[in-house]
Amino acid sequence: MDTLTRDRNPLTFQGIDPAPKSRISIRNLEFFYGATRALKGIDLELPENQVTAFIGPSGCGKSTLLRVLNRMYDLYPGQRATGEVLLDGENILAKGTDLNRLRAKVGMVFQKPTPFPMTIHENIAFGLRLMGVAKTEMEGRIEAALRGAALWEEVKDKLGSSGQSLSGGQQQRLCIARTIAVEPEVILLDEPASALDPISTGKIEETIHQLKARFTIAIVTHNMQQASRVSDRTAFMYLGDLIEAGETAQIFTRPQHERTSDYITGRFG
Amino acid sequence: MSVRMTRRKLTNALMMSLSTAAAGLGLLVLALILFHLVVKGAGALNLAVFTQDTPAPNAVGGLRNAIVGSLIMSAMAVLIGTPIGILAGTYMAEYGRFSRLSTVIRFVNDILLSAPSIIVGLFVYQVLVATLGHFSALAGAVALAILVIPTVVRTTEDMLRLVPDQLREAGLAMGAPRWIVIRQIAYKAARAGMVTGVLLAIARISGETAPLLFTALSNNFFSLNLSAPMASLPITIFQFALSPYDNWQALAWAGALLITVAVLALSILARLVTSQKDKS
Repeated sequence: MDTLTRDRNPLTFQGIDPAPKSRISIRNLEFFYGATRALKGIDLELPENQVTAFIGPSGCGKSTLLRVLNRMYDLYPGQRATGEVLLDGENILAKGTDLNRLRAKVGMVFQKPTPFPMTIHENIAFGLRLMGVAKTEMEGRIEAALRGAALWEEVKDKLGSSGQSLSGGQQQRLCIARTIAVEPEVILLDEPASALDPISTGKIEETIHQLKARFTIAIVTHNMQQASRVSDRTAFMYLGDLIEAGETAQIFTRPQHERTSDYITGRFG
Repeated sequence: MSVRMTRRKLTNALMMSLSTAAAGLGLLVLALILFHLVVKGAGALNLAVFTQDTPAPNAVGGLRNAIVGSLIMSAMAVLIGTPIGILAGTYMAEYGRFSRLSTVIRFVNDILLSAPSIIVGLFVYQVLVATLGHFSALAGAVALAILVIPTVVRTTEDMLRLVPDQLREAGLAMGAPRWIVIRQIAYKAARAGMVTGVLLAIARISGETAPLLFTALSNNFFSLNLSAPMASLPITIFQFALSPYDNWQALAWAGALLITVAVLALSILARLVTSQKDKS
């Protein structure tokens, strides 16, 4: 129940803390698709209540890295990770990790909107029921989640209609609402706006801004402007290596590596 | 217009007429069968068909025992076969997606799917009838269930495989255990197709004669006893159609019409279920 009592007061974290507490620590992470080495010794800290953006050309391993953080790769045979990923001091890669508990703590929103084949109301209630939220609290939690994802005003009169009847942008915000409803600690966003129009993208980015007060966020994006708009920190990856990571402003204005500067100036990728 | 263009146009016209004619011929045969069936069957249909049991030659009677027998055995076959089929299909599409066992099951299931139904009848005869020493409705239901299973396995697996992996991952990403994701998300997404599979399986077994011949046999009297022989429409049709008696032949036509209408209704229902999915 520590997820409910944990301090989420945004005032504590208003950019005055020079060394914010790390929520996830990645140590010497290697990832393999069969014999192919897709991540090569990654070391990275994801600071609490900050947005960390992962950028890099296709196939650089940024989505793979995201899928390690909630062990989504576990579904598929032949995929394995070595090294350490510490969440609350626990190595989530360790054998015997309770994956259901881990995934309740590390939520994920996918590239393509994935509303469940049920009503808008049920889409949110699904996760809440898993957590054992009492019936009396249900409606309040659902409304709060939809408000958190800036969707409430658009759907409050049609909670009973199918989640799949919404527009693409609304579906994606429904998926965000569903994820924040269960109060995870970390939210993983895998190119959440790449299938959306500019207006929906803007709404999603606004939502991300709101959410970082309460959650630690990791976002994979192909869109460099998006990375610079939404993130506090940026990690640039290339062919499975983490080339550099740091303050977003610094990465975009004074990158340390030539490859990073080539990529962000559009010389390759 | 060039010679080549003219030739193309002619070839096109020729191919189009040939395929239209072939389609028309197929439809014509079907229409003739249906027409014949309705003319002969409707004439023999009356209230007695539903309220009286199969008569002696040249006596008045109906098909009540056969209709009830068919309903009972089909229902039991579906009750036995559907859960097994759905669970097996679920294993292959979900839990055992990457296992060799699934490949083996799929192969065997495809064989079972196309196995002549008389072989299924003989198998059940050997296992249930010969060992118990008598024909029974239960044996008939089991034989029909064995025909239901492969159809349901196949459609369940196919329909679950159509559910995008993303949807499963999204469910798991919420921290839901596998079985909840399957039951509440994958089944929901695949429901229309799975129901259609069951309906088609019912349509398939409702006309099967061979598997019942060695198992449920038939019964001239009304019976609800599962461990005794039971009448069924297909076998009664078979028996009556081959007989020299006019009243038996008329009842055979009536029975054939009943089965055809039932299968037609099931197919239409299956269509409706599927199209409802497309709309949502």
